[in-house]
Amino acid sequence: MTASAISRPGERERFSTKLTQIDWRLAALICVVAGTGGLMLYSVGGGSWSPWAAKHMIRFGMCLALMLVLSMINIRYWFSMAYPVYGVALLMLALIEIPGLGYTAMGATRWLNIGFTRIQPSEIMKIGVVLALARWYHGASAKEASFHWKLIFPIGIIGLPFLLVAHQPDLGSAMLIGLTGAAIMFMAGLSWKIIGAVVAAGVAFVPPYVMFGMHEYQRHRVLTFLDPEADPSGTGYHIMQSKIALGSGGLLGKGFGLGSQSQLEFLPEKQTDFIFSAVSEEFGFLGSFTLLACYAGIILISLRIASLSHSHFGRLASSGVTATFALYVLINGAMVMGLAPVVGVPMPLLSYGGTVMLTVMIGFGLVMATRVHRYAELPKGHGLI
Amino acid sequence: MSEPSIFFSDVNERQGSFLRRTFVFGGFSGLGILALVGRLAQLQIVQAQEYATLSSQNQFNFRMVPPPRGVIKDRNGVVIAGNRPSFRVLVVRDETKDLDQTLDLLGQLLPDTMDRRRAIIREVNAASKFNPVPVKSDLTWEEFAKVNQYAPELPGVMADMNEARYYPFGGAFAHVIGYVAKVSDRDVQAIRDKGQQPPALLFNPSFRIGRQGIEKALDQDLRGQAGGNRVEVDARGRVVAEDIGGSRPAVQGQEVILTLDADIQNRALEVFGEESGSCVVMDVRNGDILAMVSSPSFDPNLFVSGIPSKAYRALADYERRPLLDKALGGTFAPGSTFKPVVGLAAMKRGWDPSRRVVCNGSFFLGRRFACLGRHGAQDLRGAIKNSCNVYFMTIATEFGPDAIAETARDLGFGQTFDIGLTGQKAGLVPDREWRRRNPVRGDGKWYPGETPSYGIGQGALNVNALQLAVYTSRIANGRQAVMPRLIKSIGGVEQKAGTPFGELPYDPQMLKVLRDGMEAVTDVGGTGFRNSQLGLGAVRMAGKTGTAQAQNYGAGSRKGAGRPWAQKDHNLFIAYAPTDNPRYAVSVIVQHGGLGGGTAGAPRAREVMKVALLKDPDIRARIEHAGFEAPEDAGVREAEARGEPIDAPAVDVAAPPPEVTQ
Repeated sequence: MTASAISRPGERERFSTKLTQIDWRLAALICVVAGTGGLMLYSVGGGSWSPWAAKHMIRFGMCLALMLVLSMINIRYWFSMAYPVYGVALLMLALIEIPGLGYTAMGATRWLNIGFTRIQPSEIMKIGVVLALARWYHGASAKEASFHWKLIFPIGIIGLPFLLVAHQPDLGSAMLIGLTGAAIMFMAGLSWKIIGAVVAAGVAFVPPYVMFGMHEYQRHRVLTFLDPEADPSGTGYHIMQSKIALGSGGLLGKGFGLGSQSQLEFLPEKQTDFIFSAVSEEFGFLGSFTLLACYAGIILISLRIASLSHSHFGRLASSGVTATFALYVLINGAMVMGLAPVVGVPMPLLSYGGTVMLTVMIGFGLVMATRVHRYAELPKGHGLI
Repeated sequence: MSEPSIFFSDVNERQGSFLRRTFVFGGFSGLGILALVGRLAQLQIVQAQEYATLSSQNQFNFRMVPPPRGVIKDRNGVVIAGNRPSFRVLVVRDETKDLDQTLDLLGQLLPDTMDRRRAIIREVNAASKFNPVPVKSDLTWEEFAKVNQYAPELPGVMADMNEARYYPFGGAFAHVIGYVAKVSDRDVQAIRDKGQQPPALLFNPSFRIGRQGIEKALDQDLRGQAGGNRVEVDARGRVVAEDIGGSRPAVQGQEVILTLDADIQNRALEVFGEESGSCVVMDVRNGDILAMVSSPSFDPNLFVSGIPSKAYRALADYERRPLLDKALGGTFAPGSTFKPVVGLAAMKRGWDPSRRVVCNGSFFLGRRFACLGRHGAQDLRGAIKNSCNVYFMTIATEFGPDAIAETARDLGFGQTFDIGLTGQKAGLVPDREWRRRNPVRGDGKWYPGETPSYGIGQGALNVNALQLAVYTSRIANGRQAVMPRLIKSIGGVEQKAGTPFGELPYDPQMLKVLRDGMEAVTDVGGTGFRNSQLGLGAVRMAGKTGTAQAQNYGAGSRKGAGRPWAQKDHNLFIAYAPTDNPRYAVSVIVQHGGLGGGTAGAPRAREVMKVALLKDPDIRARIEHAGFEAPEDAGVREAEARGEPIDAPAVDVAAPPPEVTQ
């Protein structure tokens, strides 16, 4: 199909045309990474489809279908749903704080009881924040996005959920929401002056916060990260074992299903947070490099899609989703390689776990929708809906 | 339509800014991923070797394999301390979900673990994390099968098979060989006190340390070298697989061969029955100890897996003291068995053995010392035969305590022997010097009144059964100062006796006189005649009876009938055979065995001697060649004996003056 053909009136709205506009390179890379995840879960499950590999693949199949369905949805509907989604997510985060509605596990209240099941509002909020910010900036001028009193709106959009999620406490998710928001503000054109001031303030205030503002276990994690050998059988154990798994993989790896660190359970959380270490142990530097290249490809293609969108909403929504994804990858990668504290951020698409998979794939649905509907015109100005 | 809120130029500015910023963001992401790749390269390529080592340290564990303990055999290769397979149950603390609950379940399968529950919990908690602690050994096959069957419900409990020390003859060798037991904190502390590092093997729960006897004395030789199993473990320390190539086998401890003969040893314990006492059999030619028994004995197997305290108390509190090695650690007055020593001491100083001394039933030195008969005029041979107190009191007072003490030491008394065992008591050979250092009532002078009782083996004189056997061997050997030997070889290396034999500093003719006298003891009319007949034809046994007074009788009966056991006299007998070419010497002490060495000591010596002789191929050939059949011969001898008036001379007691034995 040529460019002239697609510019024909009504042509872009045809389902068959839309299908061709899906970025199949991106879809293929996503499938490769998720498939690698399934393969690794098969391996660390002791060469068995249960308990993780089969479920992972089934979930991915369903999420992939969902992504394709979402990519068919016009960007206009995304635009109109932006604030409602954010509002509902914020409401649910607030409801968690009411005793009796929140479900507490492992010392943190992250789940909301809705009768038949429990949902994790912080995951919905990851999409919600991106949508709301994109929606707000869509109506904002370059000046307002750069240096203006109205910046308190995006700061509020980010700040409210950040505080609620951090209070659960779920430092990993709060950080992701905060950093994603910051990335969107940055890409929307935040003034360098503000950026400089925030960085300077951060340098001044983070150490006191670590010492006095954090929960004991959170501080312990951070301190252990700074000196993992100090506590090799406690929290430092995770970092040490992960590094051993990575390092002993060498250039070519120990072979599929032969990683002693992961197979013999030295590697903690091998099916979730530390799955990347298992890949590196069994497939070596070449395998893990290839995997990182796939992640880099996904990020760059997504950013390219964002830059091609005709609407500011589409651009910021796509780049926001990409920022979330990139942050997941970078934080998890740094964590398993001993470059960052253990914060419980999984490797997207690779790690076992349905919620993150769903969030990420909804996000890619949005990216795909942006690509498919890149020519769509959106209403201008500050409409509420 | 109202005024547009955003102007076209503004839209372009927004878009341009977005593109620039997105480019920067993409750059940051790319850099981040590049940084991760760099870190990966550092870990997986630069430091790969280092982490590979760490990984295999994680993956592989060296598990110590305790070595099988060296086997102890008798002179004929019969195993007297070996190892046998034992099924046992072990508990690993960190694999049990709840130790209490696990022990509850285990208690249903093995009820006796409930009784030791506290001790088990203490031991399990004391052990290191993944070290299995045996909670019960020697399971029956049914119990072993039951534990395995319920294994899924018992996390942290496993059943396996190992080697346990086993003493097939039970009590017969209990005192000589001793036993092994669990390593105690005191054992570890003892090594630390010496400034040494206790070997890791000591902390292995299935390791046993030699606690008594040969097991203790040769512990280092018997221990062997621990091996190691390279096993693959998971993060919880559970063994996933064994790596055969990386394993080092354990080296079994050295084999120790003793000079003992299991048949003689068993018979020696058997003849004691319930009686308390000791018996030593020696080869008079080379000093090999063929048997060394202390009775009553105990089952050393009880100690291997830890003796229940009730059973231990029963052994420790029994008045006949089964835990004491009476052959080496029990000393008694030798009584009349000492008389040949006095005779030899006199002969060395010029006493003519054929000179006669008249016995009219009493000896006077400040007071009256009784003899058990009126023996009339006797020479030395006759005096030994009749065990005449008057004769030996006479020569003892003539030559004095120092002369007796010198000869006693020459013949093996008052000393311990280098036979590889500790716990020997040297006993006491008194002389004037000793009295000076141990004065009675502040007076270090040797009173003449002490000498007559010394002459009949009483007073302060104290000997053990091994010394009696050495003494008998030296008389029987006739030339050499035979030294006893117990350990024949260690790991195939022949062991020499501790001290080389020297010549006895006595004229062989003098020793011949003593042997003549001892032959007469077991011949018609001698004090030991009735119970010393071997029934082996020309192969005959010579000996000497002895009674050691356990306490003063006052006006009571001397016979001992009706007296409590602990007040009866000690009953002794020494013997050698064959008379014409001595090979074996036997000493028997029956603690509180009653009056007269011929009654309790002699029959036991005879039975033991018989086994020793019949096991000797030369002597056996001689007996068989002569065509004698043992039972027939015994019948003839006994019939002969019945016609003889043996009652009076067969009784043999030395009566010491009360002021000395106090």
